[in-house]
Amino acid sequence: MRGTLVIYRRELAGLFLTPLGWLLLALALFANGLFLYLVLPYTGGDVGSSLRGALGGGTLFWALMVFLPPLLAMRMMAEESRSGTLEYLLTAPVSDSAVVVGKFLAATTFLALIWSVVPLYGLLFQLQGSPPDWGAVFATWLGAVLTSGLFVSLGLLAATSTNTPLLAAFLAFAACLGWILVPSFGGQLLNSLDAFVGTGDLGGLLVQTLRSSLQAMDVLRHFHFSWRMGVIDTAEVVFFCSWPCLFLFATVRMLEGRRWRV
Amino acid sequence: MIEVSELTRRYGRHTAVDQVSFHLDAGEVVGLLGPNGAGKTTIMRILAGFLPATSAARLEVCGHDVLRDSLKVRESIGYLPESVPLYRDMRVQEMLDFHGRLHRMGRSDRQRRSAEVLDRVGVSDRSRQLVGTLSRGLRQRVGLAVALLPEPPVLILDEPTSGLDPLQRREVRSLVRELSDEHTVLVSSHILAEIESMCSRVLVMAEGHLIADGTREQLEQQLGGSAGVRLEAYVGLDPEAAVELLKSLPGVTAVALGERLGIHHGFVIEGEGDLREDVGALAAQEGWALRELSSQKRSLEDVFAQLVSGNVADISASKENAPAATMEPTDNDGLLQLQPDSGFNASAKAPPAKKMIYSLNPFDQGTSRELGAPMEIEDPTGNAESDEPGDPS
Repeated sequence: MRGTLVIYRRELAGLFLTPLGWLLLALALFANGLFLYLVLPYTGGDVGSSLRGALGGGTLFWALMVFLPPLLAMRMMAEESRSGTLEYLLTAPVSDSAVVVGKFLAATTFLALIWSVVPLYGLLFQLQGSPPDWGAVFATWLGAVLTSGLFVSLGLLAATSTNTPLLAAFLAFAACLGWILVPSFGGQLLNSLDAFVGTGDLGGLLVQTLRSSLQAMDVLRHFHFSWRMGVIDTAEVVFFCSWPCLFLFATVRMLEGRRWRV
Repeated sequence: MIEVSELTRRYGRHTAVDQVSFHLDAGEVVGLLGPNGAGKTTIMRILAGFLPATSAARLEVCGHDVLRDSLKVRESIGYLPESVPLYRDMRVQEMLDFHGRLHRMGRSDRQRRSAEVLDRVGVSDRSRQLVGTLSRGLRQRVGLAVALLPEPPVLILDEPTSGLDPLQRREVRSLVRELSDEHTVLVSSHILAEIESMCSRVLVMAEGHLIADGTREQLEQQLGGSAGVRLEAYVGLDPEAAVELLKSLPGVTAVALGERLGIHHGFVIEGEGDLREDVGALAAQEGWALRELSSQKRSLEDVFAQLVSGNVADISASKENAPAATMEPTDNDGLLQLQPDSGFNASAKAPPAKKMIYSLNPFDQGTSRELGAPMEIEDPTGNAESDEPGDPS
């Protein structure tokens, strides 16, 4: 995997060489500040739970999670292939996997920086004399970073399938949104099926299996019952690491496949 | 340095490169010439490891297999694609630095080489400029600098002069020529003059096939650029008789009678080898007043124009037919009936009388003889050659 670090540095630097990176950071700073300002009264001034709410509690967090990774993935894959620099990278003495992993790490690091805005506010609270529970905040932040990794890898996979940037962004967006919505909507659909199937017969078994698999894939659920509680659960770590591994592997294969279609 | 054997690449049903084989020795500068869509870029991309080959018997760069040892191959190649893909948001120096890192060059190495290559391509003063703000020509040069940075033994340059103004073209051409001292270079272009000025050897491609491979001179021969002789002389009152006489010279395939220039007539004589000596000797013997006798070559330009217009089949056909065509006139020409027999196959007949002579007679043993040395002739009639060409007057 030599060259991963070189690619990583270049991609991360690339994000900050354009106004986009700075703009997104400023936006995150503003949005999270606003969120905390609005949420703090509802939690009765509980600084810790407000901070953890900013990381995974609100719609804002998940909206960013669905929007940002596709944007980054589009920039890193589709745009590169369109401008021809992908040809440059793929003929440089680095493997395809180094290219993909380097890009993945860079995008995830960028999102980690964006989520770091929240602990930054925590620091402000501390300076004001009301220190949050740092362990819990850190665990939630780690969860947010790992979740970002999951969505970035999914976005990269979707964006690699085409070299039209807009289509890539849309596909990645659809994939990320689907990853969040399908388990919950699918669960509801299966619940409505319960009335038609018996509990013991084959249909019931099928519905049961589907439901439990959907639940197992439900990112929101995983997030809420571990990271947001401030718990670092190894099972959750495995969950949030193995999916990206699978998606990155598929991305590398797809990139190889692209060479046949160029 | 580069070994390609039976390389084929298909895009779906379309065969972009079909059974192409060639090889480059170390230090060669070879041009890949062909009209757009001939498969040049595909070959270069395959060699650079960007595209896989559909099938290939052998595909090696610097002794490494392109498919199995792709990273080693990529290390030893400096590849400049036609679009010159550089990160537009980086400065020239940063781009070079990034490329050096990818090639695992140390910091001091990178700094030293960056300065060297920028100086070499003549953009030292632009090292702080953003790549995206460079003009096309400057970007091309920076691309070349990037390709040169890790001192790769092999350079693959895809249309390095496209999109440049004439002055920049000339600079890039001379740069490529200079590079031949240290690198093996494969450079593509669809412009013949450019390839000619840069390369010692040319590979000509058309519709995915390799049509010709060789130096300029070899190409002119291979592609049917037969050498002709232009003759301008006073040949008396009957130019047609002179045409017949010229046609009877060994090796002549066709004689065209040009326009009359005062008392002189113009002829274009086509045939194998250099016919000037024979024509000159004939003129001397016939007492024609020579005004011009010059060798005319069908330029590579003409040949290539024919390629571009899509007459691939015609050319390969004419290549095959060429030797047969040269035999025809000698066969049915009354004067030379004995000539084809008098070569190596003559042993079947009774050995004719032989004699050694100094001869200027162009009819004696064709184009192969030396005029200054005595030659052995077969003399079936018994008398010397003097009365042989006497009949047309």
